[in-house]
Amino acid sequence: MSMTTNKLALSLALALGVAAGIAHAGPSVALPERLPPLAADKPLPVPQIARKTLANGLEVWVVPRQGLPRVDYVLAVRNAGYGADAGDARGFASLYANLLVEGTGKRDAKAVAEAAQGYGGSIGASALNDGVILSGDALASQAAPMLGLIAEVAQTATFPDAEVELAKANALQGLKAAQAQPGYKAARALSAAVYGDHPYARTQPTEASINAVSAQQVRAEHARRFRPDRALLVVAGRISAEQGFKLAETAFGGWKATGEAVADIAPAQPSAPAQRLFVQRDGSVQSAVRLGRPGIAATDADYVPAQLAGIVLGGGFSSRLMQNLREDKGYTYGARGGLTALRAGGAIQASADVRNEVTGASLGEFVYEFGRLNDYPVPAQELEDTKRYVAGGYLIGNQQQRSVANSLAGNWLVGLPAEFLGEYVPKIRAVDAAQVQAMAKKYYAAKDQSIVVVGDYKAVQSQLKEFGEFKQEK
Amino acid sequence: MRKRHLCVLLAGLTTLASAAFATASAAESDRWQLPVAVKKLDNGLTVVVSTDHSSPTVGVSVVYHVGMRLEPKNRTGFAHLFEHLMFQGTPVARKGVFDKVISGGGGRNNGSTRPDYTNYIEVAPVSALERILWLEADRMKTLDFNPTTLKNQQDVVKEEIRVNVKNQPYGGFMWIDIGQHAFQKWENNHDGYGSFQDLENASLADVQSFHRDYYGPNNAVLGIAGDVTPEEAFALADKYFGAVAGRPTPAPSDYSEGLNTAEKRISQTDALAQVPAIAAGWKMPARGSRDQAPMAVLGNVLAGDDASRLYQALVKQRQIAINVSPLYGLGDAWNYNGPTLYTLFALYKPDSSADAVLAVIDEEVAKIAQNGVDAATLKRVKTKMLADWYNGLDAFIERADTLAVTQTLWGDANAVNKIPALIEGVTSADLQRVAKTYLTRANRTVIDRRPAALAAAPAAAAPAKN
Repeated sequence: MSMTTNKLALSLALALGVAAGIAHAGPSVALPERLPPLAADKPLPVPQIARKTLANGLEVWVVPRQGLPRVDYVLAVRNAGYGADAGDARGFASLYANLLVEGTGKRDAKAVAEAAQGYGGSIGASALNDGVILSGDALASQAAPMLGLIAEVAQTATFPDAEVELAKANALQGLKAAQAQPGYKAARALSAAVYGDHPYARTQPTEASINAVSAQQVRAEHARRFRPDRALLVVAGRISAEQGFKLAETAFGGWKATGEAVADIAPAQPSAPAQRLFVQRDGSVQSAVRLGRPGIAATDADYVPAQLAGIVLGGGFSSRLMQNLREDKGYTYGARGGLTALRAGGAIQASADVRNEVTGASLGEFVYEFGRLNDYPVPAQELEDTKRYVAGGYLIGNQQQRSVANSLAGNWLVGLPAEFLGEYVPKIRAVDAAQVQAMAKKYYAAKDQSIVVVGDYKAVQSQLKEFGEFKQEK
Repeated sequence: MRKRHLCVLLAGLTTLASAAFATASAAESDRWQLPVAVKKLDNGLTVVVSTDHSSPTVGVSVVYHVGMRLEPKNRTGFAHLFEHLMFQGTPVARKGVFDKVISGGGGRNNGSTRPDYTNYIEVAPVSALERILWLEADRMKTLDFNPTTLKNQQDVVKEEIRVNVKNQPYGGFMWIDIGQHAFQKWENNHDGYGSFQDLENASLADVQSFHRDYYGPNNAVLGIAGDVTPEEAFALADKYFGAVAGRPTPAPSDYSEGLNTAEKRISQTDALAQVPAIAAGWKMPARGSRDQAPMAVLGNVLAGDDASRLYQALVKQRQIAINVSPLYGLGDAWNYNGPTLYTLFALYKPDSSADAVLAVIDEEVAKIAQNGVDAATLKRVKTKMLADWYNGLDAFIERADTLAVTQTLWGDANAVNKIPALIEGVTSADLQRVAKTYLTRANRTVIDRRPAALAAAPAAAAPAKN
């Protein structure tokens, strides 16, 4: 949900895709003489958002748009995600979110899926740190019944015993499959180093936490977590504001909160000792290298400048990490880094998967790039290029209504207002090189970063010595 | 209800003759027609433009009509390696310029290699359009052929293969390995990622001749979608590409092949995977044949989403698989132009077997072959496919690319407006026919991929043949 990096192009290409050459975006690359100039920029379009709060507290935002014959809905429910999971129920929220669409008071799971298909759309839910997102879309003519289906799921999800059992059995297999991925292991180790015992560190389940789930517990948690006074409904697409409000009132006007609301998530730690962790993966031909430290909440005053610093470092194909590790050294297919900002805290992260032989050398380049960001101001042209890159990402994202709906809901979940979407680019533009460097010193100092390596210890051990003593994790 | 469905079918048949009624079963408000303007420049470059002023941005795609099928025989992986080299600079725009200009203009860019084509795509604020076209024309003219960038990208591609294949559980067997067994001709059955040895053997001379032979304007289509009119776009295309000379393109070998006549079963072990998996692939009807749209619909009836027959049967009722998903080679049901596969991929539970999964697939296919598909299901699936088709054209970068790819493969960019009617026109009888013709045991290739740890233990499954 963050606007840090644009994965649009990446997601387009299948496995063979992503050639993406990378530039030396630094001042050393001279532009060709005959390159045409950029044309004048057109005014930045700001999405027109009509807002209303229903009597039960549900906020409704409608973004009418032309174009595709489709309507997108996102129902975001705050404090319903991983942040609300008990300490011994790691990853519960994802199992719970998946089960939302597996049966309602009126329909079984198959009927829910068939209804969505018949509306020319889909319905699904996913867990985030700060909430659960229940979203759906449909052809324009099916806008009303699709919202009805979403409301039916939100208010009458039944979590049938058999569906819960099946979901648990599949989650156990899914966990096995996921654990075979180096990135999954690396994410777990790094989030523990960054977030400590905060709920943000507990997004991945364990065999025990999956086995402990009961249907009764899922129902109780749903009653506790899903409530209109903690929810936002975003409507975007071929629909008027008036029509959107009317549909929302019909579908959700009767929704009532019960019991006591889930408490807000406690702040995550602002700093942590830098750790060195090695996770063994037998036979690995690459090392998954990760660096990171605690970051800041999205509402922190440093959010925008710190994010810009992260984009210079590792935010796209032209970022310093990509240029250096991929285009200069050929160590990796992709290197990236930057900031993740949530409601109660966040993380600085950087990553690359590199072949065994260059694991130590790659770590050295990460340390070098973090250091360079600290020690020197970003050159004016590079800063200007990066700001244009961010502004372009905003324009490209706003082109698609699904992305607008998701951005609005995501911003709201982390505590940012509706206006933030339109203010974002001007705020980025206002950041100067001195601020970027100050942010680098505050959040991107190499000495503060924990380092996680997932790979084959025997193959890379000797290269790690200069980076400290690595604790072996399972 | 019944009468309405009948009307839908009739309407669907009529639309075959008249593409103007693109979406018979969807409401009037659900219709969407893309404006499409096409012009061929004197040097043979075809330019396709679709205007949309709703966002001050523009998507660009340059599609070259060459992919993995036409790469040199002792150079597996070369078409894709070459794609990487297209970002490594030219004599006038040195290494680094391309991405610096695109990113610094606020844009994103990428490229990908498929069996039939290679595409280069950008999306950016429209203020950067002229720069993008200049850069694309510049690298169509010539490249900076030098050993340093070649070596650099050989390393990067090898890392890509490590990330996606060698260090990855399942290693892409559902799209790499299965084609090697399902197809007879080298053009169709070699590994498009390539061997490390072939990649290392690639020389600057190879790069030079590939660029000369296949990267001329006459072998390319330029697609532009977004905040620009056809007149403006054609003028800019002419301004930047008009001076690039056309050059002869070698005639392609005949890589067509018929359906398979005997089932193939392959067993593989996987050192990294923890859960067994199966891929079953069937050769597809030819692109443009009357069976293409029915096969696309059948593919969705079987495995398109959670409402599909196989998801319900394998995951929900029998509970022997964790998931099931369809693949169409490296693309989709519409963007191929030579032999390709419809492949079902599933992770199955360790106490089940590949045979059990196949038995359920056979059962569901047999039901359709015998009875067809009920009207309600057919209508639902077609409605969803129509919406999916529109959704795929939402982003300008995808819109530009779909137009350029469709022009390249179908010879008609406006096919993007005809595909909804093709979907609408599919009948239950069509589904019966294609189920019987293509989803046969004889035309099937199956790989059972088991974790090494599980394979070492006595298998719960009957041993796979071959």
